[in-house]
Amino acid sequence: MSPASAGAHDTDDVRAAAAGDRHAFQRLYQLHVGRVHGAVYRLAGYDHARAEDLTQDAFIRAWQKLPGFRHESAFGTWLYRLAVNVALMDIRARGADPVSMLDDDHLPDTGETPFCAAEREELERAIGLLPPRARAVLVLHDIEGWRHEEIGNELGMAIGTSKAQLHRARGLLRKVLGESS
Amino acid sequence: MNEFEWRRQLRDLRQPLTPRRDLWASLDAALDNVERMDAPAIQQTSSVHSPRHRRRWLVGACLAASVLLAAGIGWHRLQAPTDTQIARADRAPASWKPADPRLAGAAIELDAARMELQLAIRQAPHSPALQRLLDRTELQQTQLRQLADQAG
Repeated sequence: MSPASAGAHDTDDVRAAAAGDRHAFQRLYQLHVGRVHGAVYRLAGYDHARAEDLTQDAFIRAWQKLPGFRHESAFGTWLYRLAVNVALMDIRARGADPVSMLDDDHLPDTGETPFCAAEREELERAIGLLPPRARAVLVLHDIEGWRHEEIGNELGMAIGTSKAQLHRARGLLRKVLGESS
Repeated sequence: MNEFEWRRQLRDLRQPLTPRRDLWASLDAALDNVERMDAPAIQQTSSVHSPRHRRRWLVGACLAASVLLAAGIGWHRLQAPTDTQIARADRAPASWKPADPRLAGAAIELDAARMELQLAIRQAPHSPALQRLLDRTELQQTQLRQLADQAG
């Protein structure tokens, strides 16, 4: 059963888990871990080890916050947003780490590099090289389908800043792909 | 490839992904620790200096820090950011998790509290209350590391 189709079916497990039923929570984990881990993995720059740590942190947070879950949205959506928030907190905490950041200065000026066909792995590798905040905006907007307003709220930035970061991220991505092709 | 196709290729990356290893076992152990932290009554041990007593003290301090943190962030979030003291907020020790799952939950909580405080300090760099909270949280992290070292 996919998380999308499970929304109506996991309500009982959500209530049981909120009351402390670990088996119910394990079923929720098994149902939703793919979606959560996928999003966190992309936001973590395709770093498996870090994504696994963040996924675990997200589920621990979910367990702690479940009693306050008010069923105003689907559990899967709530969990997904919580996991994204955990990943973004990690990005913010690492924001001052220059080692993990690729900046415009590190790239050759190739002018307007055209869009190029990229294999999936190549594309993921290139996204993983982006500066964390720019990568977060690109992943949330172009992959996860978020609106700039949502991204701005989540990352604590103005909508215009989110748009500028996205523009920068796309430009960097084109450069990286142009460089490697 | 035109821009539309390129963006469609990006959108196609949005797929569920199973972790390479099963996370449930370690998650289950971490949740055990979380449940202990949330236990309403903490039984007194025979020696107040035992490692278990100190762990419980840390758990209590961790919860208190979380409450203070929430109040502090609510207070200072609206203040305009400045450049001074931002270096203080950028002092970000790497995330650390003890091998002992009993301490892992406290480490996660303290790490999350530290991250939230650093974010809040970036927005309100002149807040002595937030600075004190960050100092206290980092002290608790140090104490937790010492406990983990003692536990071997």
